[in-house]
This record gives sequence, C-alpha cells and structure tokens, in this order.
Amino acid sequence: MDYTFLFLILIGCPFGAAILTAVLPSKSTPRAVYSGIHVLELAGVAAAGLALTVAAFMGDDIFVFGEWFHIDGLSALFLGLIAIIAPCTGIYSLPYIKHDVEDKKLEPSQVKQYYLFYSLFVFSMILAVSSNNIIMMWVSVEATTLSTVFLVGVYRTKLALEAAWKYVIVCTAGVAFGMFGTLLVYANAADVMADAHQAVFWTEILPNAPLMDHSLMMIAFVFAAIGFGTKAGLFPMHTWLPDAHSEAPSPVSALLSGVLLKCAILIVLRFFILTAANVGDTFPQTVMLILGVLSVAYAAFEVYRQNDLKRKLAYSSCENIGIIAVCFGIGGPLGIIAGLVHCIAHGLTKALMFCLSGNVMMKYRTRDLSKISGIISVAPVTGVLFAAGCLALAGFPPFAMFLSEMLMILAGVAAQTWWVLVIVLVALVVVIMALIRMITGAALGRASEEIGRGDVSALALAPEVILLAVVLLLGVALPGPLAGSIEEAGAIVMSYEGENSANGDLFADALAALGTQDQPELDDVSEMSDVSEVSDVQEEIEEVFE
Amino acid sequence: MLGYSLVNALGACLIITSMTVVLAKTVRASACLYSLQSLVLVAILASLGFVTGSGELFTWSATAFVTKVVLVPAILLFTLKKIDNNVNTDLTPKINPMKAVALVAVEVFICFVAVSGIDLPTAVEAKPALAVSLAHFFIGLTCIVIQRSIFKQIFGYCLMENGSHVALALLAPQAPELVEIGVATDAIFAVIILSVLVWRMAHYAHTLDADDLCELKG
Repeated sequence: MDYTFLFLILIGCPFGAAILTAVLPSKSTPRAVYSGIHVLELAGVAAAGLALTVAAFMGDDIFVFGEWFHIDGLSALFLGLIAIIAPCTGIYSLPYIKHDVEDKKLEPSQVKQYYLFYSLFVFSMILAVSSNNIIMMWVSVEATTLSTVFLVGVYRTKLALEAAWKYVIVCTAGVAFGMFGTLLVYANAADVMADAHQAVFWTEILPNAPLMDHSLMMIAFVFAAIGFGTKAGLFPMHTWLPDAHSEAPSPVSALLSGVLLKCAILIVLRFFILTAANVGDTFPQTVMLILGVLSVAYAAFEVYRQNDLKRKLAYSSCENIGIIAVCFGIGGPLGIIAGLVHCIAHGLTKALMFCLSGNVMMKYRTRDLSKISGIISVAPVTGVLFAAGCLALAGFPPFAMFLSEMLMILAGVAAQTWWVLVIVLVALVVVIMALIRMITGAALGRASEEIGRGDVSALALAPEVILLAVVLLLGVALPGPLAGSIEEAGAIVMSYEGENSANGDLFADALAALGTQDQPELDDVSEMSDVSEVSDVQEEIEEVFE
Repeated sequence: MLGYSLVNALGACLIITSMTVVLAKTVRASACLYSLQSLVLVAILASLGFVTGSGELFTWSATAFVTKVVLVPAILLFTLKKIDNNVNTDLTPKINPMKAVALVAVEVFICFVAVSGIDLPTAVEAKPALAVSLAHFFIGLTCIVIQRSIFKQIFGYCLMENGSHVALALLAPQAPELVEIGVATDAIFAVIILSVLVWRMAHYAHTLDADDLCELKG
C-alpha cells in the first residue's frame, strides 16, 4: 500500500501551519486565528501519525519517496509518541498561552513566535524519527535544536535567554559530534558499497555493516553517542537540560522531555545497531552502560536536592534517559524491550507531569516547592492528577513505568549485571523518596489562604486526563498490537545477531532468556529457589502482556 | 602524490588560521580571519577535486565560498553592528594565549595518534589532513569552552563545522549534493539563530559575558 499521501499530511500539517503563521501579521491577527491553525495542524498530525503507526504495527514496512523515509516497527513507536503527546501538549498550550498573555508575560508577537516554532518543532521531530537517510537524521536533530531555541527563550527574560543560549550552544556543539559520527559512518559505508549514493540510507548500510572498518565504526559510535546523547540529556552532556526545561513554557517542557529526548535516543539506537553489526554488541553496550549508570546515579540525587518543581522534573528526565541507556547497555531481548517500553512510559508520564507543573504555576505563580502546598485543596482535579503523576513517575504499580522498570530489573538479573542493578536500585529509591516528599508536601500539605480556590480550565485538564489514562492503560494491560510492535522493534534492534526475525516471538525469547541463563548453574538449592522465583515472575509478566 | 601533499599542506594552514580566529582580540578581527580560514577550506576542497577527479568537490568549493567566505562573516559583522555600543563584545578569554596554543598542540597530537589507527582506502593519502580536520573540530570546541564572550563562542561552532566539512570531503569525495547542502544550510541557519540570540542577549540582558550567565547553575 502507498502511504505517501498520509505521510504528506503528517509532515505537511506542521510545516504548512508554520508557514501560514509566519506570513500572518503579528499585531493585527487575533490570537484565535493562531489557535485555529494550531488545532487544525495538531488534528492532522494526530490522525496521520496514528494511522501510519497502526499500519506499521500491523506489519507494513513503510517507505516513502523512495528510500528517503522509512517507518518500521521501531520508528513507529516513536512516531506514535509524537502523535499522542504533541496534540495533548498542543491543546494544553491554548489555555496556558492565554494565561500568559493575560498575565502580561507574552505579547502578540511572542504568541505568534510560540505557535510558529511549536509547529516547526513538531515537523522536525517527525523528520527525525521517520528519516532513513542518516544525513537527514542529523539535519533533523539539528533542526529540533534550532526550532526550539526561541521556544525556550520565548519569555525574553535574562534567565530564559541564558537557558536558551546554553541550550543552543551545548546542543549544536554536541550534535556537531553527531555529524562527525554520521559522516564517518557514511564514508565507511561508501567505501564498501558498490553505489556510494546508497550509503546514506540506513536500511542499505545495515546489511553491509559487517564489512566496514572496525576502528572507524567504533570512533563513529562514540561520536554519535556523545553527539546525540547530548540531545538526549545523558550525563555528562546533560547541562542544557535542567535549564531549558525549567525556563521554557510548560507545554514545551512537556514536548522536550516527553518526545525530543526519545527522538535522540532513537538516533543513538540506529547507530548502536550499525555498530553492533560491525564490531559485536559488547562495545556499544559498554558505552551505553557507562553513560546510563552515570546519568542515573548523578540525576537521582539532583532530583532529591532540587527545590524547583520544573528542575526536579528535568533531572528526573535525565535519570530516566539514563535508565533507558542502562536497558540498552544490559542488552539481550529483555533489556531492549525494557528500554523501548521505558521510552514510551516515561515519555507519556513526563509529558503529563510537565503539563501539571504548568497548572501549578498558573495557580501558585511560582515553581518554588517550598511555596507550593495543598494543591489538592486549592485545585482538586489538578491535585489528584499531580499525586497520581508523581506515583507514576516513581514507578509504582499500576502505572506504565512500573512495567518497564520491572523489565529492566529482570533483564539485569538475566544478564547478571549485579553492580548495575545495585546502583540503579539505590538511585530509584532516592527518586521515590523525592517524589513521595513532593506528594506529601506540595499535593497534600496545608494550602495557603492567599491562593484562590478553583481548578484550571477544563481545556487544560482534558489533555492531562487523557495522558494519565494512557499511562494507566499501558501499566494495567499493554494492548496486543502495541506489544507486538514492541516485539518487532526489539527484533530490529537485535537484528545484528541475525537470528531474530521481525515476526519472531521476542517476548517469549526474552522471558526464556531468564531461565536458560541460570539453568546450567543449578547446583545448589538456593539457586533453584531463585530460578523458581524467576519462573513465577515470568508467568506474571506473560499474564501482563497477554 | 603532489596533489595530496598540497592538501596536507593546506590542512596545516587550516590549523594556523583557526588558531588566529581563536586568539584574535576583537570579534571583527575574528570574523575577518574566519573568512580567510574559509578561503583555505575552499582551496582544500578545490585541490581535492583536482586530485580525486570528483566534480562534486568543485561545486562544494563554490558553495563553501558563498556560504563561509562571504555569508557567515557578513552575518556576524552585521550582528556586531546592531549590538549596542555599551555592551562589551571583546572580552578576554578565560585562559591566556600560550595555554590555548599548548592545549591545541595536545589536541592535534592526540588526533594524529587516533587517525593512525584508521584503515580506510580513501583516506590513506590524506591521513595528515584527516587528523587536521579532527583536530580542527576539537579546536572549535576549545574555542567555545575558553571564550568569555558568547559572541566569540559562535566562532567555535563555525570551526567545528569547518572541521566536519574537511573530513567529509576527504572521506567521501563522491558524496551526493544533499550532504553538502545539509552541511552548508545547517551552518547558515545555526549562525543566524546564534546571532539573533546574541543580539537579544545584548538587548535584553545587556551582557555578552558568559560569566554573567550562571544564574541557572545547580
């Protein structure tokens, strides 16, 4: 089936909206016109994005414009994330921007700038996840930086400009490393492929990856991991993240944390696959494991230490990106699946939390947690959503992050990476303490009489309710097609081993890995006890997925 | 053989000119020296075109001339003109010139060692130039780190980008036009956006000193 038309709608809506917004005169155009264009754009992105995602979930390998764009099971997961989170945060932007205009924080020209760059941001993220051309991948990631810098600095205060400058300089320098890595891969591939023009396409490079120069490929992966890892917010290249997330308007923070960081992870994953096919999985897994463990360990304590609501959430993003890197570093079918599920679960949960931080700021006019208390009594719906969101972010059942974190622990057990598990579990306990403190203090504490009672508008609450419902749904029962797609995506990541077909039952393989790794060593009763416990967990997980 | 010797010699000129960009005392001088450096880059691309017989490289050298020798310095000089005279654009770097030169020497040495391990047929003749391109990339990064003036940090990005450009020409002389268009377009857009942000910083925050922009630490 030809999906060109759907894809054109997908990229045409945000790009067209950006052009239309740009040509409208900022002073004489009412805000409602920008809002209307924005809503139409989001509807197009949601409809076309979800349609393409479902088509990919059903097993279609979608190529558009020759080999330039490719939506496989792996990119479909991330496209689905864009198709859900971008409309939710986009709709949330309407009341949020209205509030900022009423509060005199934004002028008409800034409102136009906001909607213009929001559209370009969505457009560039779609390009990043759907591009099959490795040069285009890098250009798209760079475009995400250039399109968001004015969103981060939209308020034009000194702090906002400082955050925007740090963001643009760190990310452009970082992504320049990614460009160098990309060029090395291209040059390496062009050297071994008959047609050098095909060496820009990821799907063409992959079968030839084992023939490429090993040293160059390892250097390229380090460059790509540093470059795109900067964009993903991995330690120690994360320095832009807390500043940009805290100073940007909350819907932008939600989109940055919920989707953009995951887009960068997808690009790292594409290079991970090529490198693993070339030099084996030990080298890229070690790089990911080191970056991941450092990120988790550092960010967890920062989450606890911060007293600024949005900086706390930003460091939590850094910590969760670290968990994703740890999952890919542990590797194996279970580790890969854990990483992919965590991308989805964290993306949705963090988008929810940043939107809720926007509600809190609309009510309390501050991000300082020492001045925020009793959200439940001030704004009951926001308060309940906030407490539920904190529990979801802490990885409590029945929310989606519980599932992904459990999978990560099981993957660690299967791979016997005990030191990694110990560090990550200690970090997770610290994060849980920080989030529980936020629930007891900010959500349940005693509300000040100075804060007016009453919730934010229904339009602000609706996207948050949808996001929480999805997070809950994924935690309670992963829908069959999504589980199938995660399996397929996992098989693509594992394709370097050449033994997993895209249609294989990867979940079953992953769970089997838990038992088979330990069985030859069953010499004593205690180990047998461990295996029987693992088998119980296997059964539980199978029930969850079924 | 003579052709590659010329390429390698021009690579050495690239390092020297990039050092002058980093060490220049004023933004205006840095912009002019960057233009000169880009001219060396154009010469490298053209000489590589002669050596490899790649028609694409001549096109690249022409686009590099327009974008890097003319447009990027022009954008930066235009931004400098627009910035209020009260804002100091020519702040001294965080480390003295001798330390900066020593740092660059170490970087160049490490890059030569790293490149010696690469076994790629297209790069055999031009390994010194490849090491120079990699080193150039790190000189750009050094420029970003050591400059106090955020305006001068833009030159760091430009140097990094020039390093990638040379590496691309050395490793993939037959690369499709799109690759070159991507690299060139990115450089222009990035410089425009960085310049706008520098102007806004000067206009709204009245400073271009990186040391003044540390309120968001922690």
